[in-house]
Parts: sequence; structure tokens; C-alpha cells
Amino acid sequence: MTAPRYGFLRANALSLSFGGLFLVTLVGQAIAGTADFNARQVTNGLPTVSFLDYVTSSSFGVDVMENWQSEYLQFFLYVFATVWLVQRGSSESKEPGQEGTESDREQQVGPHAGEESPSWARTGGWRTAVFSRSLGLLMGVLFLLTWAASSVAGWAAYNSEQLGQRQDPVSYAGYLGEADFWNRSFQNWQSEMLAVGSMAIFAVYLRQRGSPESKPVGAAHADTGQTG
Amino acid sequence: MGTPTTLRLAAVVLATAALGGCAGLQEDDVARVAGAFEDPGAAPADRCALLAPSTLETLESDESSPCADVIGQLPLPGGAVEAVEVWGGDAQVRLSGDTVFLTDTPAGWRVTAAACQPRGELPYDCEVEGP
Repeated sequence: MTAPRYGFLRANALSLSFGGLFLVTLVGQAIAGTADFNARQVTNGLPTVSFLDYVTSSSFGVDVMENWQSEYLQFFLYVFATVWLVQRGSSESKEPGQEGTESDREQQVGPHAGEESPSWARTGGWRTAVFSRSLGLLMGVLFLLTWAASSVAGWAAYNSEQLGQRQDPVSYAGYLGEADFWNRSFQNWQSEMLAVGSMAIFAVYLRQRGSPESKPVGAAHADTGQTG
Repeated sequence: MGTPTTLRLAAVVLATAALGGCAGLQEDDVARVAGAFEDPGAAPADRCALLAPSTLETLESDESSPCADVIGQLPLPGGAVEAVEVWGGDAQVRLSGDTVFLTDTPAGWRVTAAACQPRGELPYDCEVEGP
């Protein structure tokens, strides 16, 4: 069966919708964050700030970055974990017995690449090695960059708060040992791990007709790796 | 993978450099305001004008007098600027005789707390402070 002919919008509806939702929710966070920040400023006898001042502040920066870093950590771990670990019966998992990076033939790599395969899948050498791991690598690099950014923004926001409360600011090394940094990191990480773990096990026993994230409605609970 | 990562790194480096330049100018402003506030030779009205509105209100309410009448009696020894910290819209200046906290307002940097004594992990104990 040939794929239907779709225009750009319909062919990219999923990424465009979530891209739009991301922008709407980011603006929502900026508006609510400005109000929340200004409420605390008034309590501390400090002047309120404009929307533009808030969205260019370290306070907004850390609130955005601390969430991004945990999302990329989640995907980084998920992409790598699902290579080696299985969940029997889950649509999120490979079949038991297929753990590992699989054969070149199964992965259509090198001489097994087809005419439409990406060129780096075919060429071999370091290009194929990098391309074969590019998804996990990108997620890992983005995690490290956003975690570093959240640590710098968090340090600036923490020191601004310290001064507002008539306390001394801390060094960057000092901030990495502060409860504020690890509280922010762990509170974001726990929710990501919960999400992945929940999804892996829920998908064994529950269905969502038509979603590629779910098994077919009539698939057995013990069937692994199918999507409907 | 290469292009978006390289762009991100460049943006972070540029932003840090730009912010570093801005921070230098802000430190000068902050030090000047703190020094002028703590200058016993300056006119009382000028010194009071450097207080943040909420701090001025609290001071006049606590002392039951206009700021200009009482500022000369407050323990504000001032001295040479030893260290300046500026983070976002908040700042701290250590003078040889005092520690002063400031905030950025539409009218410029203003003093939120002065005549401050450190108390270890607790906030500084300040004679002049806001609500």
C-alpha cells in the first residue's frame, strides 16, 4: 500500500503540534513566573520587575533549563536502556532474546544498507559508528549542556536570592554543593524515571487504539514489541 | 549533531563575555551608590534619596522622624570599598566599616539594608532595613 500524498503540515503534524504546544506553555510559564517572582519581591520589600526583565533573568533561565536537562536525561537513558533491557509484554520494549545492538543485516548497515538508506549507514568506518549512536549521543550532549546551563543559571538565581535576603553569595563550586542545586536536579529526575517506568509497565496491560505507543487492542499481554 | 551543538556553545560563550562586560559597569555604579550613602560629609537629603522606597518608609516609621533628621545618628561608618557582588537585580558592597545591600530600581541602584553585622549562616542583622 503506497503512503498517501500529504502536504508539509499534515506530514509533520506531530512535531508541529508539539512545537506549538511547547511555545504556548513556555509563554504561560513566563507569565506565571513573572507574577510569582514579583510576589516574592514585594514580600522582601524589593521592587517588582517587568516581563522582559524577568524572561532575561537567571531565575527564569534556571526554571527552564532545569526542566530541559531532565527531559534530555530521560531520553538519553531511555534510548540506551532499551538496547539492553527488556520489559516482557510491553510495546516500549524489544522481544526478550533480542538484547544488544543486533546484527548488521537486521540494522541495514554497511553492505546490508538499501538504496534509500542514509549515506552514513552505508559508508562504514567512523561515520557509520557515529551515525549508529547519533540519537543517544545527541540526547546525552544536550543533557550535559542543559545541565551545565541550569547549574550556571541556578547559581546566579541563588545568589540573587541570597542578596535579596541579606545573605552572602556563594562561589560556583559552593553552589554545586548546595541543597538548592541537588534538590532541583533530583526533583526533576525522579519524575522522568517515574514516567518511563510507568509507561513501560502500563503498556503491557493497557491499550490505546490507534496509537503507535500501544499494542493492538487485541494483542495478548505477553506479546512484546508490537505497536498498534 | 555538530551544528546545533556548536551554535549553542558559541551562544553561551558570547553571552558570558557580554554579561562579564555589563557586570563591570554595574559594579562601578553599585560601589558609587554605597559609598555616597555611607559618606558622613554628604547632605542628609542626598543620602536619604539613595534608600530604596520600602527601606525609607520602614526607617521613617521606626524612628518616627523624617530620614534627613535621623540619618546622621545612625551607625553608618562607611569606609573604602573592599568588595562588590552583583547578581541580577541585587548587590552587596563590603566597605571597611560596614556591609550594604542594594537593589536595582527604575531610578538606579538603591540601598535596601545598611549597618549590617554578619551572623554566620543567618541573614545579616541590619539596623537600616526594609519590611
